Amino acid sequence: MRWASKFPAAAYAEPITDLDGQAMEKPWFAKRPVSGVRPGDHGWLAYSGSEERDRVIGPFVQEGLQTNEKVVYVTDAPPERLPGLGTRHHINVDAYRRAGQLRVISRQDACLDRYGGFEPARMVDTLGREVDKAFDQGFRAVRITTDYSWLLNEPRRSDLGQVLGCEHRVGDAVSPSTMAMAICQIDRHACPRDELIALRDTHEVLVEVNPEFDDGILKIVRTFEPDGLRVEGELDAARHAVFAEKLTQVSKDRGRVHLDFSRLAFIDLGGLHLLARHATVLPASEPLVLDHLAPDVESVIEMVGWHRLPGLTRGTERVLSDSEGIG
Amino acid sequence: MNDSFTHRVLPYDGMDQLLDGALPFLHDGVDAGDRVLAVCGTARETLLRDALGPAASAVEFTDATAWYAHPSRTLADCLSDADDTAWQGRRLRVLGDPVWASRSPLEVAEWQRVEAVLNVAFRGTGASLLCPYAATLPAGVVAAARKTHPETVRGARALANPGFVDPWVFCEQCDREPLPAPPPGTDTFKIDRPDLFWLRAYVSEFARQTPLPEDGVQRLLVAVTEIVTNALRHGEPPIVLRMWTDAPDGRPGFVCEVSDGGRWPAGSGYGLIPPRPRAADSGGRFGLWAVRLLCSVVQIRTGDHGSVVRLRLDLPFSAEVNGA
Repeated sequence: MRWASKFPAAAYAEPITDLDGQAMEKPWFAKRPVSGVRPGDHGWLAYSGSEERDRVIGPFVQEGLQTNEKVVYVTDAPPERLPGLGTRHHINVDAYRRAGQLRVISRQDACLDRYGGFEPARMVDTLGREVDKAFDQGFRAVRITTDYSWLLNEPRRSDLGQVLGCEHRVGDAVSPSTMAMAICQIDRHACPRDELIALRDTHEVLVEVNPEFDDGILKIVRTFEPDGLRVEGELDAARHAVFAEKLTQVSKDRGRVHLDFSRLAFIDLGGLHLLARHATVLPASEPLVLDHLAPDVESVIEMVGWHRLPGLTRGTERVLSDSEGIG
Repeated sequence: MNDSFTHRVLPYDGMDQLLDGALPFLHDGVDAGDRVLAVCGTARETLLRDALGPAASAVEFTDATAWYAHPSRTLADCLSDADDTAWQGRRLRVLGDPVWASRSPLEVAEWQRVEAVLNVAFRGTGASLLCPYAATLPAGVVAAARKTHPETVRGARALANPGFVDPWVFCEQCDREPLPAPPPGTDTFKIDRPDLFWLRAYVSEFARQTPLPEDGVQRLLVAVTEIVTNALRHGEPPIVLRMWTDAPDGRPGFVCEVSDGGRWPAGSGYGLIPPRPRAADSGGRFGLWAVRLLCSVVQIRTGDHGSVVRLRLDLPFSAEVNGA
């Protein structure tokens, strides 16, 4: 298997150690919007529901097809129903399949043994074969994706160790590759939290939706479960309009909206007033929740007074938990 | 309920005169079922409790130093107390003795301004405020009290105060005194780009070289962003920023001044009146008023030669600054 490797041998990630030589518990992740995923990325997407999944996998698939890259999707779902595909997206699935640019491979063909049991080695072989073929076909890159949820939540669920082993091997093959990139999808409700963390930790890249807005000063990213926005950078009058627009969009027909302010370094008084004004039209039972406030920003809000900003509620504290990438 | 608001001064010379004016005020409130607050120090509290007798249990005593912590904040908090009490169908009654002795002249001026504008802010709340002023206070403080209270209390009687001055006229009089010039050699920074993230980078860089604590830097950034945004929207070029530290009257402070070539329209309000949470739209007023909450003192001067907003944030007393 070729995988168009950057390095002669599989590059194992060195365990991160601190000065005492003890392994640090927190693994290091790169976080990327889906359009930033590139060859060598073994990406992870623990989605909350089909909306979030489609907004990540849709662009992943479409951008591949639009830029002379091969897309390999391991699934039992009909191709027209896959994220980003089908007539709804004006993508001619059959044409792409005939041209060999889109490969939709059934689980049976990709990774099951003859008794229908999961066989990790087969998965790695299948993917390797597809990457080799793509190289010969002249595609400049291969985008691989599959949803693992069925392995963990169906009655005949596989052993977690098997799945972890599979992920390690896929990761070892993808990471040094100059051609292959993968997003492993899982429904974050498919298995218990500790298993989710173990699975996540076999990936180096956490993939999320593309930002709604990003001009280098302010970045707005849609979040799911809870529904809301993550607001990063600095918010002032120069960007009130775009923020108000995104806030209105995300609040439409939704219950309680959360704003993740963990990476918000600055919000001006007009921004706070905008939040409070937005909150006044919400039902009293569904206040606007501000999560993970940075201490500086929170102290300003406290100075002005939470009670003077009715409709705004302080959400969860700012803790850098191990929940990144799993919600 | 009668929603006419009263704001009376009780000048007194000695404890007997104080009690002659304060006791009827407090007893009337207790009898009427008002929410009765007495804001004072512990010695005064003991005196009042003894004199009130059983009625003392119906009076809430609050420490004056905590209550009078910050002019704009105290005004806003007291006003929302008055609104909340009125909402419950009761009247708020406050015996309030501002802490004058330990204040710098700059702070005294801001508290006098509060005494004046609360006459506007509390209209319609039905609240009753009684402010005792001791004869031992500096003459200027007592004289200003005669301008900021519509009525004077003598014993149980309230008389119209002929010295009372319209609150906005009083503020104008306060602002007639020109601001001291910035220290020589102060850098001036011209603002001609509407995007302010770079301005904040400049301001925080400067501020972090002074003893201003980190949370103060953030408050400064929020305040200066608001003032410059206003200047860009409503003012005239050139918009100029100056920053320095000083210590007039031994009180070290960080000063950030924004000037522009425009003139504020008459009746601007200058963010002195707190916006009411139940008011329909207070958008324009929220910003400048909140800036006052974030800073120790905000000074505004406007006229034919342009406008200046000076934001002052107290520095730790131990800070060594120019002029200290």
